[in-house]
Amino acid sequence: MLIKKSERQVRRGALAAALASQTSGSIDRRTFLRRSGLAAGGLAALGALPLGGVRKAEAAGTGPAPAKGIIRQNICTHCSVGCTVLAEVENGVWVGQEPGWDSPISRGSHCAKGAATREIAHGERRLKYPLKLVGGKWQRISWDTAINEIGDKLLEVREKAGPDSVYWLGSAKFTNEAAYLNRKFAAFWGTNNSDHQARICHSTTVAGVANTWGYGAMTNSYNDIRNTKTIFFLGGNPAEAHPVSLQHILEGKELNRANFIVADPRLTRTAAHATEYVRLRNGTDIPVIWGMLWHIFKNGWEDKQFIAQRVYGMDDIRKEVEKWTPEEVERVSGVPGAQLERVAKMFATERPSCLIWAMGQTQHSMGTATVRASCVLLLATGNVGNFGAGANIFRGHTNVQGATDLGLDIVTLPLYYGLAEGAWRHWCRVWEVDYAWMESRFATYTGADGKPVKMMNTPGIPSTRWFDATLLPKDQVSQPDNVKVMFVMGHGGNTVTRMPEAAKGIEKLELLVVVDPVPTTWAVLSERKDGIYLLPSATSYEMAGSRTASNRSIQWGEQIIAPIFEAKNDLEIMYRLATKLGFADRMFKNIKVENNLPVAEDILREINRGGWSTGYCGQSPERLKLHMANQKDFDVVTLKAADGPCKGETYGLPWPCWGTPEFKHPGTHTLYNTNVPVREGGGTFRARFGVERVVKTKAMVDGREVEQEVRHNLLAEGSYSRGSDIQDGYPEFTYGVLKKLGWDSELSEAERATIERIGGANPDAISWATDLSGGIQRVVIGHGCAPYGNGKARAVAFGLPDAIPVHREPIYSPRPDLVAKYPTLPNARQFRVPNVGFDVQKAAVEKGLAKEFPLILSSGRLVEYEGGGEETRSNRWLAELQQDMFIEINPADAAERGIKDGGWVWVFGPADTRPKAKMRALVTERVGKGVTWSPFHFAGWFQGVDQRGKYPLGADPVVLGESVNTLTTYGYDPVTGMQEPKATLCQVRAA
Amino acid sequence: MAMMRAPVRFLAALMLLLVVAFAVPAQAQQPTSVNPQAQSVKEQELLKELKKIQGRGTLPDARSEVIEQPAGRDWRQFHQVTLRWIGAIAILGMLALLVVFYLVRGMVRIEGGRSGRTLVRFNAFERFVHWMTASCFVILALSGLNVTFGKELLLPLMGADAFANWSQWAKYMHNYLSFPFTLGVVLMFLMWIAWNFPSAVDFRWLKEGGGIIGNAHPPARRFNAGQKMIYWVVVLGGGAAAVTGYLLMFPFYATPFYTTDVAGMQLAQMVHAIVGVVFIAVMLAHIYIGTIGMQGAFEAMGKGEVDVNWAQQHHSLWLEKEAGKGHVRGGGVAPAE
Amino acid sequence: MARMKFLCDADRCIECNACVTACKNEHDVPWGINRRRVVTINDGRPGERSVSMACMHCTDAPCAAVCPVNCFYTTADGVVLHSKDLCIGCGYCFYACPFGAPQYPRVGNFGSRGKMDKCTYCAGGPEPDLTPAEYGKRDNGQFTGYGSNRLAEGKLPLCAEMCSTKSLLAGDGEIIAQIYKERVVRRGYTSGAWGWQTAYRETIAS
Repeated sequence: MLIKKSERQVRRGALAAALASQTSGSIDRRTFLRRSGLAAGGLAALGALPLGGVRKAEAAGTGPAPAKGIIRQNICTHCSVGCTVLAEVENGVWVGQEPGWDSPISRGSHCAKGAATREIAHGERRLKYPLKLVGGKWQRISWDTAINEIGDKLLEVREKAGPDSVYWLGSAKFTNEAAYLNRKFAAFWGTNNSDHQARICHSTTVAGVANTWGYGAMTNSYNDIRNTKTIFFLGGNPAEAHPVSLQHILEGKELNRANFIVADPRLTRTAAHATEYVRLRNGTDIPVIWGMLWHIFKNGWEDKQFIAQRVYGMDDIRKEVEKWTPEEVERVSGVPGAQLERVAKMFATERPSCLIWAMGQTQHSMGTATVRASCVLLLATGNVGNFGAGANIFRGHTNVQGATDLGLDIVTLPLYYGLAEGAWRHWCRVWEVDYAWMESRFATYTGADGKPVKMMNTPGIPSTRWFDATLLPKDQVSQPDNVKVMFVMGHGGNTVTRMPEAAKGIEKLELLVVVDPVPTTWAVLSERKDGIYLLPSATSYEMAGSRTASNRSIQWGEQIIAPIFEAKNDLEIMYRLATKLGFADRMFKNIKVENNLPVAEDILREINRGGWSTGYCGQSPERLKLHMANQKDFDVVTLKAADGPCKGETYGLPWPCWGTPEFKHPGTHTLYNTNVPVREGGGTFRARFGVERVVKTKAMVDGREVEQEVRHNLLAEGSYSRGSDIQDGYPEFTYGVLKKLGWDSELSEAERATIERIGGANPDAISWATDLSGGIQRVVIGHGCAPYGNGKARAVAFGLPDAIPVHREPIYSPRPDLVAKYPTLPNARQFRVPNVGFDVQKAAVEKGLAKEFPLILSSGRLVEYEGGGEETRSNRWLAELQQDMFIEINPADAAERGIKDGGWVWVFGPADTRPKAKMRALVTERVGKGVTWSPFHFAGWFQGVDQRGKYPLGADPVVLGESVNTLTTYGYDPVTGMQEPKATLCQVRAA
Repeated sequence: MAMMRAPVRFLAALMLLLVVAFAVPAQAQQPTSVNPQAQSVKEQELLKELKKIQGRGTLPDARSEVIEQPAGRDWRQFHQVTLRWIGAIAILGMLALLVVFYLVRGMVRIEGGRSGRTLVRFNAFERFVHWMTASCFVILALSGLNVTFGKELLLPLMGADAFANWSQWAKYMHNYLSFPFTLGVVLMFLMWIAWNFPSAVDFRWLKEGGGIIGNAHPPARRFNAGQKMIYWVVVLGGGAAAVTGYLLMFPFYATPFYTTDVAGMQLAQMVHAIVGVVFIAVMLAHIYIGTIGMQGAFEAMGKGEVDVNWAQQHHSLWLEKEAGKGHVRGGGVAPAE
Repeated sequence: MARMKFLCDADRCIECNACVTACKNEHDVPWGINRRRVVTINDGRPGERSVSMACMHCTDAPCAAVCPVNCFYTTADGVVLHSKDLCIGCGYCFYACPFGAPQYPRVGNFGSRGKMDKCTYCAGGPEPDLTPAEYGKRDNGQFTGYGSNRLAEGKLPLCAEMCSTKSLLAGDGEIIAQIYKERVVRRGYTSGAWGWQTAYRETIAS
């Protein structure tokens, strides 16, 4: 048999051939394969290979072939699962990728993006050096020139219009350190106009979930879904958006023969594996959830004990749910009652059940309410705070959870401290800067009512509204002046709705700075001829630092290669600019800077020193690196290390990881889990909303109307985490509470001194979240208690616009007949800008737009691309797989319009600007009749015009296409400013 | 059973549609309650029902969307076995036939010897076209045969590398020479079509065996029925070979007129191969007659002029016509008798 | 002796295309050549299944049988490889292949086929193991050689190793068949070991 060329040459002569077959060169290989356990192992090898027919790379250890180069470990940047990327590096060049078998999260796996990620790091189409747009031409400039010119302009705008006129848009692809630094940068600059992608993906989740039970994050983990009996997807398509999570989900489904319910307007790739598929109309998640609860309450399937002990306000929910009879649910959402009853029964009775969602729930004008309704469903069925249960919220980028945690946001400082004076004082103590100086950095705004407002304590403008803040008349923007500068780091320009208006917004800016590995849509969208700077930043793989996955596990990534071309590390760019702007000394007071590059480890240590509220205090760089080096010790189901130096710890020390690093808290695998001691990662619902709620009601007593006060206990009743010394609900811990309990004696002298020093005149008020010593946390956890208290989760989130979630039709509703009954909330000024959703909705009904634009338009994700897509569309391996922007349309709708599969169509949007976009039709039954869907990753064509020529030479993405956000419309969640691309209208015509 | 069910299923679907249409105003057309897992497609069932399993992919090349097409097995059988038999029988059979014929009949001589007077049978352009096409054909035939028989006959003699080298060149020649060959076929078609329509004369010619079998010499115009047959074999066979050949050669260019999926390619290859071997067999006969089979025949395509006696013998009607126009050269006007 | 096979468990495949790009990455396969691809059957309808397909390294491989220059060979591991030195780019293997595996780069002469390229099971080609000659050249649009030889390094094909849901299995045919059978028993359903009947004349757990 011919095996190798050397043999073939020998085989020319018949005699030689006969000899050759005796000494086959393949023996080496055979022997080798046997040695590596494949050939000889047979079924015995099954033990090592239970789930994939693959063998670990280490098996090659005995083989003759040495590894090609150094192996470096980082985290894939393309979603929040947190797959380990193993890079082979030879002479500073990234030459190959190997599966990261040891990662308990990804176990060697990747999706298309992760498996192609090497190309992103040394993609030829990246920005190579700083560029400046002059007279419509891109001009190469040096970094020094760029920083100087930009800095001068920034200072000029600050002088003229105040610090709030500069908008700092950050990135979910930042490391934790960069995200933190970016937020700190905005603080030192003097504005809260600091945001990132979480605004447009899960801001409503964070708001909704945190307002229910305390923290805005996934409660369990991807791995934990292996314990679930009923998996319910409502508003998520992880098969395309989080492919590697499906490894855990599908294996869990198989192992447990679990129910796999997918409710979605599309029959997605996830739905293909469902045991039950529920097709609902876009934007009717609340009716569906209430419809499920209607059956649950009617049949008594709810978890009565759980509700009594751990939930506040479920009776008020019952009243709302009563309105949602099966008939009304079907009328509004299209889901038949019988199916919903079946689904409700499975979810409530075949436990543990978890609810998985992503942007299908969040990207709506009623996003927060939808998320809250989901939480209520989990609470009613007792499916929070246990293994296999929970709200499994799948986030979108490597570090969108971390960037959110670290306050890259308009409403909070790092780690959810908020914007009140106490929060600022806490961080000023951590940063060791004078509070008064910090105060002086901010402006004060006097609005029409004449009352001065301190901008320092006022939430900023959401990234969804930046162009409104630019374009609207000055008096409609509640800050000293319009936004005049966008400083964008790692954020696409095509991810926000209403793009035609964004294009106008860019034209009106005085300066646009884009810091990104690729030019992004920002560079080409507008007709601007001057005043755009493109600064090449390194990719995530060229930067060391930590990243927080969706399950709150924090993973340290090494720098794989030095930044290529003239690209620079985000940290360095921020340092250089801070230096130019004059606050670098203060900002980097406790952070070592080497060769203009701030040391990531030092930044993380600073986060640890201030991150008490969220338990970001225990994850020192040393501990994280130890986890990365010992990935193999962690179990795939429990995420716990069975052995090795991290024994007993949970992989990536998922927050909250209480106390100082020395305290060695193992991290919290599942939030609010009372079955586990707090010391080992257990918890309770956070007592975040007070001890009791006083409700004033009017009642008739003896024929007279009297005002009564009803007191509701907001603390848990008879429920507590395992091993707790306090066997009932309790408030959050302060130094004062500790004293009352007599536990303060357990504080060390140093801890007590720190508390007294911080507390000044009132040390008793120093809490678990502001105690910089970590002593309070250490002591209360020693007593088995959660530092943040033991409260009830809120089914009724008093303080929010819809305390009890109610259904509201999308702004551009396909059912104008329902708008009267389910209108959106009244107009209001939110986040410094007006939200006129009510007027827009009303006008849409009056103009009969649902007739003119009869198809529902929704957007979503493709597995090959990510986010705005510039980076992934520049990757030739990925670009080849999706070469055209398209719209999914049902065969019936296509036939009515004479549209052929693969043919070109024009899609028209209902906004006043009457946008249009040219793309291909994908005629498919994935979408129901009357529904269309488009991916949101495309850009580079605008309303039929190919903009390739406007990109800097050689930096144009391989694939361009229309952006769906050219068509998407007005609509903002009142709690977070979330946009509404998941339910709008369109019309499609063959082109 | 399945057939019995179909109308029932249809009715049920219709009823469901009606029910749904009344009940659900939002999305009436698609049933909402489904268990995708239980309805999953199964490979074995699909293979039983269909020749190939095809789906949707994201690559623009539609052929990549076919994931399984076991028909290659039949084509393999054709290529490895059937074609070889057809080829061997056609070519070796024809050779054998010609050998036997030569032994029996020998060379057909010009009765009465050469007259010394000649007339032009094919002008220079005609001869150029013929030889261009013929030489291309020989190379195409050899390189084509190499694809089918080479690895059995030549590979053991030449060794893998040399054979691959030769085959690579053979493929290039096969591909490139197809263009002049096709041009030649087209020109021949246009050049000679006027004389190649079947006529009554041809029936007599055929009935009398063309004068090859036996000693009669039935009259013929410029081309006798045998030559007409060659003509049509060249035109139709050449045309078919060319069309199928180009389909095989340019797999990347799908046009609106045809789709080159694998089944189409297999069919094209089968037609190309069968036409090829039959063509070769017929051409062997043509070459035989034109060379050692018949005295004086080669001159027609060689010098372009034939002896009047040869013409009298084989193409009497043509000679009359040509003579009438005064196209006979040398010796005098009348036949030398 | 290990007989290497591929098995795509369509009940796990989610069309994430990791196998496709992993292959591109490992061998630096150029645009237009798709050694592996994923196809979805019954797209958008209940019961839809996706299958990742490449060369299945058939038993008694039809490509090898029809090759006019005998450029194919089967290694001791049952991997069907070919020699690009010998290949003449005739396209016959593409006609015979039940899985559409052979790929041809377009070359200069009228866009017709260059030398065939296909999945090597990450086992390189006839050049000596782990040499630059085996890997081939990738500069300036060239595409020669066969790519990496992971088998020689004691590793399995990267597509299967990186599969997001462990749907695509590679390894000793007996072991992966056993894994698949156990899976089917455990979960209670199967859409079939796609291609096994055609490639290996074997049906398992269907």
